[in-house]
Amino acid sequence: MWFQTVRTETAPRVLRDTPIRVKARRLWATTREVFSRGSTAFGATLIAAMLTMAIFAPLIVDENPRGAYQMPRDLTAVAVPPGTEGHPLGTTRLGGDVLYGIVWGARLSLQLSLYVVAGAVLMGLIVGCTAGIVGGKVDAFLMRTVDVFLSIPTLVFPLAIAAILGPSFVNIVVALAAIMWARYARIIRSQILQVREEDYVDAARTIGDSKFGIIRKDILPNSLTPVAVQATLDMGHAVLLGATLAFIGLAVAGQAEWGTLVSEGQADIIAGRWWTSAFPGLMVFLWALSFNLVGDGLRDVLDPRTEGR
Amino acid sequence: MHRYITRRLLALPFVIVVVSILVFSMTRLGGTTIGPYLEPGMTDEEIAALEERFNLDEPVPMQYLAWLGGVIRGELGWSAVAASPVVDVFRSRIPASFELGVAASLWAVTLGIGLGTFSARRRNRLSDQLTSVFAVGGASMPTFWLGIVLLIIFWSYLGWFPHGRSDFRVWASIPHPTNFYVIDSILAGSWAGLKDAVWHLVLPALTLGYGAVGIVTRMMRSSLLEEMGKDYVDAARARGLPERLVVRRHARRNAFIPTVTVIGLSIGIMFEGTVVVETIFGWPGLGSWMADSVLSGDQATTLAFVIFTSILFLCINLLVDVTYGYLDRRVVLRKT
Repeated sequence: MWFQTVRTETAPRVLRDTPIRVKARRLWATTREVFSRGSTAFGATLIAAMLTMAIFAPLIVDENPRGAYQMPRDLTAVAVPPGTEGHPLGTTRLGGDVLYGIVWGARLSLQLSLYVVAGAVLMGLIVGCTAGIVGGKVDAFLMRTVDVFLSIPTLVFPLAIAAILGPSFVNIVVALAAIMWARYARIIRSQILQVREEDYVDAARTIGDSKFGIIRKDILPNSLTPVAVQATLDMGHAVLLGATLAFIGLAVAGQAEWGTLVSEGQADIIAGRWWTSAFPGLMVFLWALSFNLVGDGLRDVLDPRTEGR
Repeated sequence: MHRYITRRLLALPFVIVVVSILVFSMTRLGGTTIGPYLEPGMTDEEIAALEERFNLDEPVPMQYLAWLGGVIRGELGWSAVAASPVVDVFRSRIPASFELGVAASLWAVTLGIGLGTFSARRRNRLSDQLTSVFAVGGASMPTFWLGIVLLIIFWSYLGWFPHGRSDFRVWASIPHPTNFYVIDSILAGSWAGLKDAVWHLVLPALTLGYGAVGIVTRMMRSSLLEEMGKDYVDAARARGLPERLVVRRHARRNAFIPTVTVIGLSIGIMFEGTVVVETIFGWPGLGSWMADSVLSGDQATTLAFVIFTSILFLCINLLVDVTYGYLDRRVVLRKT
């Protein structure tokens, strides 16, 4: 890590600064640059709002005693329009409060995207590191596998997996992570190949750092940027795809899940009850939009190849 | 170039076989797939006969080989949902999906290229920013929701556009030699049929194509901006060429090259999108059949559909690479 600071900062400053200070300052400068764009700032604000909603869900709407992610059933107010006392966004045909679905659905979506992205990154990390470090035939084999996974359609394949495993939240996570890891494996491998030729890795080798130490301390931190960009974009994709799977019918029925709610609200359109599908779908859109905006912003700033685009 | 294409073509079957093994073993992961074939009141002998008929009494690798043998003979198994052979259902349902896909691609590509050019030429102005918002919206829009919102507004409230693929009476009034509604109605010289076909296509095509509009617009904008910064564009300007021609004749031609890639990509994505869009609009194509099959555990259909989509993806990718080589003379495909 110390060698990196020497590479990018002018000498006198390095002498004055501790590596942590330099890092903090660089992080701050990057953050400011990222959020100076209107669209990115907008996306970040949206994310912050939705995260707040997810975290403080119990304070906004009381938890359903039958299970937090089960839609509550208010049989005294079935299919009431938005603006009704006690149900600001209306209720479904079965008396489920749409606001409850949105607020607790945010929690579910946050969990879904975190699990999917964490699983995909972990798997990609293992495969990418193995391929990049071992090299040779192992590398060739793993990368062909990655190619196969990247050439499989991203909706139909998870759809098939989730269908086979049966409708449940965990199965949707598994199905999505099973397709998303491949991109991370490719990113991490290419970063390893690129980074290990750098001078500071040579330097680490010269001073006798172990192979594992070099990977942990030098190679991985420098592969982090493209992974972070991809992970941000995938936080949005995961919810978008997850909601699509739920919409098709692969989630547990009656859950406070946005895709499920839209699916259940589909039958209400003929009756003119637009709110049961319109609001939850809007949340999926906003979720995906905000992570896309922030992901694009991050990429433009962190990835010099797309500069000026 | 030719050697490269040959090499890719030779590799294609291998990738397809790997994908099929992967998907096949997945479909067998959940145990036997006999479920959808069973009917209440079947005797044990009948079940055993069914198992033998679909090779389900054998170990999974043998089942795979039997399936592969069937594929070579042109059989893909029996769809329990449609109660007929998968191949027949494919044949009868492809035209509907294809028609929808072509309509969606047409508007997506035309609008995407147009908006991308427009946006690049007005870089950082308000109109550019609005276009960008529209484009990012496309990439973030849940197809299922867009379809429903369009239905709520234009079908449920305004009643301007219909649901489904056709008006039954109009559909029945003309012969269907190709099963492509638009083509059939032109062949039959039926103005009412053509009107009905297009009218029904509008909403699903808009829904299916919006994601691709976003992708194509963004790519077109960024690659056009990149080209506009190059020397030959300055040279063309220096020769006194009007800006319109500089863009149209010089910069845009080269900007098409990367755009072709994403067009290929988005056609693949659109094909997947039919699963959702057809379900919402009651469109009798491959996608809605796949959605039904997935939910009822019809593995023969699921398998056929996933592999069909994968082959489509692979072929589109190959086609894109080849087009790339022809469009851009600078691309020298490696001769190894």
